[in-house]
Amino acid sequence: MESTDQFNFSIFRPRNLHGRKNRNVIFSMLIIWTLAVFGFQFLLRVIQEPRAENSLIRFETAWPSALKGDIAPDDARTLLATMIHVKGKNIVKPADQELLNSAISNIMYGNIPDTIKTQITSLLTDTRKLKSELATAKDQEYLDIKSEISGRSQKLISLFEPYSGFSPGSLEATILINSLKEDYPQRLADESLTRLPVVMKLYLTHNQSKLTDTKFLGFPFHYFYTAVFLLILFVTLCIIYNVLIEWRLKKEGIVE
Amino acid sequence: MNMKKIYLSGILLFLISLSSNAESLTQLEGSFKTGPAIILIATLVTFVLVGVFFRAKDPADYYAAGRKISRVGSGMAIASNWMSAASVLGMAGMMYGFGYNGLAYVVGWTGGYVLLLILMAAQIRKYGKYTAPDFIGDRYYSRDLRIVSAIFTILISFAYCVGQFGGIGLMFKWILGLNYTWAVIIGSSVVLLYTLISGMIGATKNMQIQYVIIVVSFLVPIFIMAFKFDYFWLVPQIGYGAAVTDIVQGIPAPNISEGASLLNAYGHDFSIVPSPEFAMPWDPSTGTTFFQWVAICFSLMVGTAGLPHVIQRFYVVPKVSDARWSVVWGLFFICLVYWTAPAYSTFGKILSANPEVGRLATDAIVVYTAQLGGVNSLIVGLLAAGAISAAFSTVAGLLVAGASAFSHDLYVRVINPTSTPKSQLRVARIGTIIMAVLVTVVALMKLGLIAQLVSVAFSMAACTIFPLFLLGIWWSGSNRAGAKAGLAAGILVTTISLTYYIVGLSGGSLPGQEFISYWLNVWYFAWIGAPLAIIANIIVSLLTTPTPLEIKKFLAEQVHN
Repeated sequence: MESTDQFNFSIFRPRNLHGRKNRNVIFSMLIIWTLAVFGFQFLLRVIQEPRAENSLIRFETAWPSALKGDIAPDDARTLLATMIHVKGKNIVKPADQELLNSAISNIMYGNIPDTIKTQITSLLTDTRKLKSELATAKDQEYLDIKSEISGRSQKLISLFEPYSGFSPGSLEATILINSLKEDYPQRLADESLTRLPVVMKLYLTHNQSKLTDTKFLGFPFHYFYTAVFLLILFVTLCIIYNVLIEWRLKKEGIVE
Repeated sequence: MNMKKIYLSGILLFLISLSSNAESLTQLEGSFKTGPAIILIATLVTFVLVGVFFRAKDPADYYAAGRKISRVGSGMAIASNWMSAASVLGMAGMMYGFGYNGLAYVVGWTGGYVLLLILMAAQIRKYGKYTAPDFIGDRYYSRDLRIVSAIFTILISFAYCVGQFGGIGLMFKWILGLNYTWAVIIGSSVVLLYTLISGMIGATKNMQIQYVIIVVSFLVPIFIMAFKFDYFWLVPQIGYGAAVTDIVQGIPAPNISEGASLLNAYGHDFSIVPSPEFAMPWDPSTGTTFFQWVAICFSLMVGTAGLPHVIQRFYVVPKVSDARWSVVWGLFFICLVYWTAPAYSTFGKILSANPEVGRLATDAIVVYTAQLGGVNSLIVGLLAAGAISAAFSTVAGLLVAGASAFSHDLYVRVINPTSTPKSQLRVARIGTIIMAVLVTVVALMKLGLIAQLVSVAFSMAACTIFPLFLLGIWWSGSNRAGAKAGLAAGILVTTISLTYYIVGLSGGSLPGQEFISYWLNVWYFAWIGAPLAIIANIIVSLLTTPTPLEIKKFLAEQVHN
């Protein structure tokens, strides 16, 4: 009579030699797979260190003068350039964007003569109006409005150039005029003054290490490893597994 | 045959007539795009006609048809079945929005195939059941488990479809120039109609054609953009690496190459401020953490090996060795698209860096990138049609799988065992329509990004179906009581996660809301749910009546001998 135990098996207790060899292949594959995927990420996590971008270092140097309320022209340019840098990253959260817009407007308007302020705010108002029309415009009308916005933007960039130091055509100049508010604050609120360094630190500090600094085929190495190499490894592991299994089946004369 | 020639000639005439307005796509969205609309219609009509030409005569022939195709063909079918709006649209969107964290989706959705191959594919083929509820009901000798697994097959299909409908809506919005709500409603109606017409006909042949359309439409724009922006274009899947480094270091404007500025479609310079957050791991500014990377990756991998519509593919290959090799080919074909998706997010990041481009819908970044890259509008249209094809092929499979689980596993087995085949078919059709309507309603709520919504389905599969298959195949000691306990544990974790998510969405708060929302997040709760389900299954199995002899004997002699 057949007993229940006779047919007991698990992946840890195979029933025969073939099963044991199969188990060893499976476990080897799983170990390679786990180490390659998660081992590497753990390594990346262990050796990483928070590293500041140059802009953060420059910002922190110039920031004390802003806190005192007495910003020298050079410091103003530094603060402007570093905040523009952060504003140019398109992952900035809306609340942080608003804070940066206020700070950029505050510094920029503080540096330009009153005579051209009216001209600037008028151009900005026109541009905002055109942008709101853009949402519903279609086809040729859309292109015409785009062209008008572009024209006004160029005018604004030229007006700001002597005070911002951003040349027409530069990305920074475009970011600047897209950040300016017509109803800018004369002085930043205390809450904003507290939050701004935190926001700057958040966007300008990154987890870096030797693995992220090293370049491979143009990629940062860790990016290549995860986005390209791991996928190659998965396909290779699958091929090796199949070849091994079929070789053993043939060798042992087993027909599935 | 004549019909085919007439049809092909028609498509050619369409394309020639469209070339006149090929350069008019300077508006990212908001306008009706004639060329892409006609390409989309032509693509969908092709699928329906292929379905008619290669029609399976009956359900048995439908399954047997799979047993006639080659390993490469089967691999293409696996890849087409697998790649959805989440692969074609969602993944690049995640990398565009969350940088390195988005790569967890790339690795998770491919690494799971290694698990599938070494732990499941051949054994499932040897076991010889056609559907996941069939296997679970038989292996655990339980009608209840069969019913619950059928219900979860429906729920998983439902969750998977929500993201797809969102993707279809975005693409219809882009092509038709409508608002999102109308785009989803129209897109959903079209996909429902498509499923009802072609759901069960010529499926395998269609999957191969769909794969070719998806891969060609996805790869061509990247070759063009890599060439245009002066990166190594012969293998753009490697060439975009230099662009990643450029993003980290920043590209100053104007960028001059051989005397000419590199510009996007709006005439903005190909420039970007230094943005290391795009490539650096779990960057604080993206709001993501190391734990989330690992949890997402693990949940997607385990979920891959537990998705009913994926597992089902292995029942229909001719031989056990074909089940194994079809995984290899399937994975390779999937990787062709997955190697390319990060390139879209990379070029997209640079091309949309100018603030005048405005905020772009993250999930449509693939199409916007091609458009901003100045790729010919017909090719962009083909790309959008490819994305819709990917969503359509997956949705059709999911709706049919959900409807089959309802009609075959619930209606026939539980509600009306004496029903006729005609009434079963009617129930399946009604089930498909109800499911499509409900999915549309949920998709309109815009609950998350495509990849995130789809990952809910993966976590559900990982917590419920995967442990039952893993232990059912690899441990004869796993019995009915253990399976029920494991399933209960998986369902508990799923319910907690979904409840907290829904309460959080509605603005409410439950005890430990913040803690649960982070550690048991709805996008990756399987990191703990799947291991808990396995442990519960093992403990209860050890404490209760052993598995019957005939089940152990079948496993030992048929599956593992």
